[in-house]
Amino acid sequence: MTVTALPGAAGRSRRATLRRNFWRGVWRVLRRKPSRMAGVAICALFAVMGVAGPLLYPAHLPRDDDALYAPPSLSHPFGTDFEGTDVLALVVTGSRYVLLTGLATAVITVALGTAVGLFAGFRRGWQDTLLMRLTDLNLAIPGLPLLLVLSTVWKFESPLEMGLVLGLLGWGGIARAVRSQTLSLRERGFIEAARGLGLPTTHIIGRELLPSMAPYIAMNMLIAVTGAVYAQVGLFFLGVLPFEANNWGVMLNLAVFSGGALTTPAALPYLLAPLLAILLLTLGIVLVVDAMDEIFNPRLREE
Amino acid sequence: MTRATANRAGALARRVAGHVARGLVMIWLVATISFVIIREIPGDPVLAMYESMLQKGMSPDQAERATAVLYGFLPKGSLWEQYTGYMGSLLHFDLGRSLSTPGVEVTSLIGSAASWTVLPVLAGTLLSFLLGVTMGVYAAVRRSGRLGDLLALSGSLLHGVPVYVIGLLLTAIFATLWPILPSGGPVDVEFTPGLNAGYLGSLVRHAVLPVVTYTLASYGGWILAMKSNVVTVLGDDFILAAELRGLRRGIVFRYLARNAILPLFTILALSIGMLFGGSIFIEEIFNYPGLGLLLVNSISSRDYALMGGTFLVITIGIVVANIVADLLYSVIDPRVRSGGTA
Repeated sequence: MTVTALPGAAGRSRRATLRRNFWRGVWRVLRRKPSRMAGVAICALFAVMGVAGPLLYPAHLPRDDDALYAPPSLSHPFGTDFEGTDVLALVVTGSRYVLLTGLATAVITVALGTAVGLFAGFRRGWQDTLLMRLTDLNLAIPGLPLLLVLSTVWKFESPLEMGLVLGLLGWGGIARAVRSQTLSLRERGFIEAARGLGLPTTHIIGRELLPSMAPYIAMNMLIAVTGAVYAQVGLFFLGVLPFEANNWGVMLNLAVFSGGALTTPAALPYLLAPLLAILLLTLGIVLVVDAMDEIFNPRLREE
Repeated sequence: MTRATANRAGALARRVAGHVARGLVMIWLVATISFVIIREIPGDPVLAMYESMLQKGMSPDQAERATAVLYGFLPKGSLWEQYTGYMGSLLHFDLGRSLSTPGVEVTSLIGSAASWTVLPVLAGTLLSFLLGVTMGVYAAVRRSGRLGDLLALSGSLLHGVPVYVIGLLLTAIFATLWPILPSGGPVDVEFTPGLNAGYLGSLVRHAVLPVVTYTLASYGGWILAMKSNVVTVLGDDFILAAELRGLRRGIVFRYLARNAILPLFTILALSIGMLFGGSIFIEEIFNYPGLGLLLVNSISSRDYALMGGTFLVITIGIVVANIVADLLYSVIDPRVRSGGTA
């Protein structure tokens, strides 16, 4: 409390300048490579799609009963599916479930992984050994086969349930990375100084350690989103979960196993539309992570 | 000298023992998970099987034994009795019998499926390793050029894209739009199995798309790791010294590659594990009769003994791959072999 109260007005303006400089840096990094701007735009597009997508089609999806598996045209940019529903509308409305699961997974993965990694790295000793053994186990367990087997007893009905399971299976990588970062950071001068000043452990962890790791954690969170999207689209694609909402994975499954998209070109647009959506999302996230890497890691900047 | 060798052998043995112990814990954990799941499946298939056998006119005793042969544990009795029964039959390598292919033992089904997974996974790993390492060196040396940038981006993209997207796109391109390769199945039926040209040719033609998918799926990881390793080593003093001494480029390159490649062997185990998981998608897409397809089919046909067995064997495969990769690493890198501290 005293620490934040001390600097007063001068400090506040200094902090504002810092913030302005930071955003200017972000802008510079983005502007140097147009691909990064594209990445941010793609991510924003998907965010809007997830939030507002279902609102675009309030009553029902555009459907044309006479045109089954219609080829791409002006009214149906990606053609229609087996009952004549517009494929683009299916992709747009399906994005909410997919992105919501991704978000839930990312939050759980990052929270759990960071907590375990921080605790293990900061405490060391037997707690560290125990937690790292658990982490090794979590990393080594074959996640996808386990998900398949679990799907026989648990149908993961809501995106949040799905996110919970995926998060519980996937925290190992972040935990290990955060632990090694903690181990190296805790030997640095500023942490020693904080400890020498007698600051409480919560302050050292929350105010000194976490901020220096935040960018790293944020990047991992984005990567966790993509991982979760793949896993759940894949589960629906394999067809081991009940089809409920329209969903990219369900679309893939129907296109391949009922539409015969792999043997006849007629159903191909129906197959390619969700695939393109996944590719675009991946591209956007990869580009944003690349930009973040350079913003937060000045050594990478090639001036 | 001899003592040093003995010490080294001791350290290696301890490493292996540690890995084996951890692997056994993992296998036990997975076996327990599949036991719990088989027991908790809605509708209790084990008890249902027992009752249907009773209705067919079997005596309770016979029905009980017949069910135990199928699932590896008795349909009645306490949880603990069932659990020890299940574990006991696992120790005898008895995974029960399949329901969807009646009367066939799960172990023999898995045995015939295993090679369809293991060989393509190994081929894909080898190919992607070679490709990724070469491209990684190039991308690191030319990292401010356009081509280097492009290579690194291709790595990030392929690393990020899920296997089924790669597999589906490849099939869409090479089997549907431009049909030069078969879209699925292990081999054409018109050839008689054996060492004849037609059969082997068909085998290879069918294996191309799955192997290429495995390769592309793990290529991204290799190129990214190799690039960052090479960039790190490039900054080292000994490279600068070698350049200042005026050594030929080829020799400098050899210094570089040897040091940059070593850490990659730690990723090998992870990569093989990932491909084993990915085999579920790849085999489903290409209708390739390996372990992954067996697992998916066993779930959709409610063949739970087969499901538990396949899950267990996939886990064992990953554990074994881990141990082999670690052994390989400690054989190659002398720093790991001698020091137990690293």
